[in-house]
Amino acid sequence: MVYILRLIIVMVFASVMVSCNQDKNVNDSQLALMKTTNPNPIVTEKNIGEDKVKKIEKEVSNLDELYDVAVVKGKRDTLVVYKVKHMQRFKMNKIEKDLTKRLKKNFPKENITVSSDYKIFLEAVRLVEKKNNGDLSDKQAEKRLNEIIKMTSEMK
Amino acid sequence: MVEMADKQKNMTPQQQKYQQLQQKHELKRPVLKNCFKAFWVGGLICVVGQAISYLYIYFFDFTEQNVGNPTVATMVFLSMLLTGFGVYDRLGQFAGAGSAVPVTGFGNAVISAAIEHRTEGFVLGVGGNMFKLAGSVILFGVFSAFVVALIKTLLGMWGVL
Repeated sequence: MVYILRLIIVMVFASVMVSCNQDKNVNDSQLALMKTTNPNPIVTEKNIGEDKVKKIEKEVSNLDELYDVAVVKGKRDTLVVYKVKHMQRFKMNKIEKDLTKRLKKNFPKENITVSSDYKIFLEAVRLVEKKNNGDLSDKQAEKRLNEIIKMTSEMK
Repeated sequence: MVEMADKQKNMTPQQQKYQQLQQKHELKRPVLKNCFKAFWVGGLICVVGQAISYLYIYFFDFTEQNVGNPTVATMVFLSMLLTGFGVYDRLGQFAGAGSAVPVTGFGNAVISAAIEHRTEGFVLGVGGNMFKLAGSVILFGVFSAFVVALIKTLLGMWGVL
């Protein structure tokens, strides 16, 4: 019993020490599963549809049930990923349905893929970070976006 | 309740007196304390499970939908190891249902039965008795999954879902 108590104390101490470590080199993507990141919306090709992607982000952020939104626009497809507030997670399907309907109505020309999966969110944040840091070219970003969108379609 | 009353009626006065004496000296179970322990230990096990599923999402290509499979496998494997080392049994004594209800309890049930019967040989002892406790979990788990899938299919066919 004493051993288990010691183990719990050490674990709590270690987690407190880790969480208090305010290292500025920590990227958003490293904590994307735990904290709100709200990354800036990006387009894979510069100067194409930057206004539209911001509009889409604003439209999605307006929903009360959501709290973290990432939008990535490619040549053809646009990926919208979001996190749902804890108590609203019972209505995930309804939220996704309503959001898809709303986006289709307001942006009929766009081919929008919507997802609330944490993995897709994480990959979208990683893509945004890499693109902003210049680690990915437009072509590579477009390829990665298509891979992420393919991942969402495999889940359905 | 009726059975208990019948039993008391059939008892001799001496037996009834003994029963009363026994009830007077019987130690009361600390139900609230047990619930508290079970709640915290069960919750901690779930936190570990959540952390493992985040690790799988973060470092591998698992999505939120399919991360449950490797997480469950890992948790069962860890509880099997801990049972073998004798740690999980102590945890079970301390937390009761808190350690038995999560999926880790399944691993504990399998390995503890295997350890118990190892003296009877590998095939008839370990192999034959390994699922003595966990067998019912598998049976009713599979059956209830079948029933739920059937209901879901029917509701889907009728357009409700």
